[in-house]
Amino acid sequence: MAMAALRREGRRLAPLISPRTITAVRSSPLYPTLEDEGPLGVRHISTQVVRNRMKSVKNIQKITKAMKMVAASKLRAIQTKTENSRGLWQPFTALLGDLPSADVKKNVVVTISSDKGLCGGINSTSVKISKGLHKLNSGPEKETKYVILGEKAKAQLVRDSKKDIELIITELQKNPLNYTQVSVLADEILKNVEYDALRIVFNKFQSVVSFVPTVSTVLSTEIVEREAESGGKLGDLDSYEVEGGETKGEILQNLAEFQFSCTMFNAVLENACSEQGARMSAMDSSSRNAGDMLDRLTLTYNRTRQASITTELIEIISGASALEG
Amino acid sequence: MTLNLCILTPNRIVLDSEVKEIILSTNSGKIGVLPNHAPIATAIDTGILRIRLNDQWLTIALMGGFARMDNNEITILVNDAEKGSDIDPQEVQQALEIAEANLRKAEGKIQIIEANLALRQARTRVEAINTIS
Repeated sequence: MAMAALRREGRRLAPLISPRTITAVRSSPLYPTLEDEGPLGVRHISTQVVRNRMKSVKNIQKITKAMKMVAASKLRAIQTKTENSRGLWQPFTALLGDLPSADVKKNVVVTISSDKGLCGGINSTSVKISKGLHKLNSGPEKETKYVILGEKAKAQLVRDSKKDIELIITELQKNPLNYTQVSVLADEILKNVEYDALRIVFNKFQSVVSFVPTVSTVLSTEIVEREAESGGKLGDLDSYEVEGGETKGEILQNLAEFQFSCTMFNAVLENACSEQGARMSAMDSSSRNAGDMLDRLTLTYNRTRQASITTELIEIISGASALEG
Repeated sequence: MTLNLCILTPNRIVLDSEVKEIILSTNSGKIGVLPNHAPIATAIDTGILRIRLNDQWLTIALMGGFARMDNNEITILVNDAEKGSDIDPQEVQQALEIAEANLRKAEGKIQIIEANLALRQARTRVEAINTIS
C-alpha cells in the first residue's frame, strides 16, 4: 500500500522526478530502461520520460517530412532547366571529343558539391572520386590541383589536401542558377588557374533515386592540337575549315572556353538536381524511421502503463483480502 | 537536299528544323551555307542569322557563339537567340534608346564595354525586325 501511494505520489509530482529515475535514464546509452528496480523489487515507471521522448520523435518526423516536400518542389523547378541544358554540351563532345584518358602534365580537378548538408552521400562520393583522380594523376612530372565549389567538399578536402587547392567558391545557389553567373565563374577559373586538362567532377542526375558520379574532361587547345595530330577520335578536327577570326588557334581557344562554361553550367545544374533528390530520399527514410520509433515507443508506453495499473490492483486486492481473512 | 539546323542556347532549344539555306554572320563577315558545304567550325558575332525555308526568309537575332557544320548538319550554340517574329518592336526601340543613353553616360572601361555590348545586342534585335518586312 505504502509503495502504491509512493508511486502515485511520484506520478503526481512528475516534474520532481526522483533522483534514482534520473540516473537510470542517464546511464542507459541508447534506449532508456524505464523500469527501475528499487530496494524491495518495486518498479518506478517514468511514463513522463517516455512521453517526452515520443513528443520529440514526433516533431522530428514532422520536420523531416516537411523538408522532403520542400526538396521535392525545388527538384521539380531545377529539373526542367537541367534537361534543357543537356543539349548544350553534346555538340562540343561530338566535335572535340571527351578524352578522359588524355595524358597531361597539369590537371585541374573541379569538384562540385552542395553547400547544405542532410543530402545523403553524394558529396562524399564526389570527394572520393576527386581524390582518386588526384592520386591517379600525380607523379614525377604531373601535378593535380583542386578547384572547389561548395562548402561540403571544402570541409572534406581542406583537411588533407590544403596545399593543392587553388580556388574555393561557395554560396553558389544563393540566387537561382543561370548561365551568366556560371560563365563569369568559369572565366575566373580559366584566368587564375593554368591547366592542360580540366576535369569536372559532379553527380549526374539519372532519376530521382539514382545519381551517378561523372567526370567531364575539357582539354586546353594545345592538347587538343596534339591529340588531333596523333589521330584517333580528334583526327577529324583538322578536316574542318575554321573561319571567323584571325587564326585557327584563336577560334579554338574561344571554343575551348565556351565549352568549359557550357559543361560547367550543365554540371552545376545536374549536381543541384542530385542534391535535391538525395535530400528527398534521405528525409523520406528519416521520417519513416521516426515513425517506426514512435510506434515502438507507444507500445512500450502502453505496456508500462498497464503493468503499473495491474500491480496496483493486485496490491489493493491482496491487501483487502488480508484484512478480511 | 536540306540542312538540319539546330540552334541551342544555355536555357533552351530555340530551333530544330530543316532549312534550305542559311546566311550566318561571323567575326570576319557573312557567309552563306548551302547543302553539301565543306565542314566548317566558326565563331559567330552578335548579329542576325537568316534562314530560308521554302522560299521564305526568317530572321533570328543571335548574341555571339559558335557554329559547326558537318555533313548537312548545322549546330549553332549561342548565348542567346530570339526569333524575329518573337520580338516586340516597341520594346526593342525602348531598349535601344536605353542602351544608347547608357553608353553616353558610361564611365570606366568596364562600363563602356558593357554598354557597347548592350547597344550591339539592341541594334541586332532592331535589325532582325526590320529585315522581315
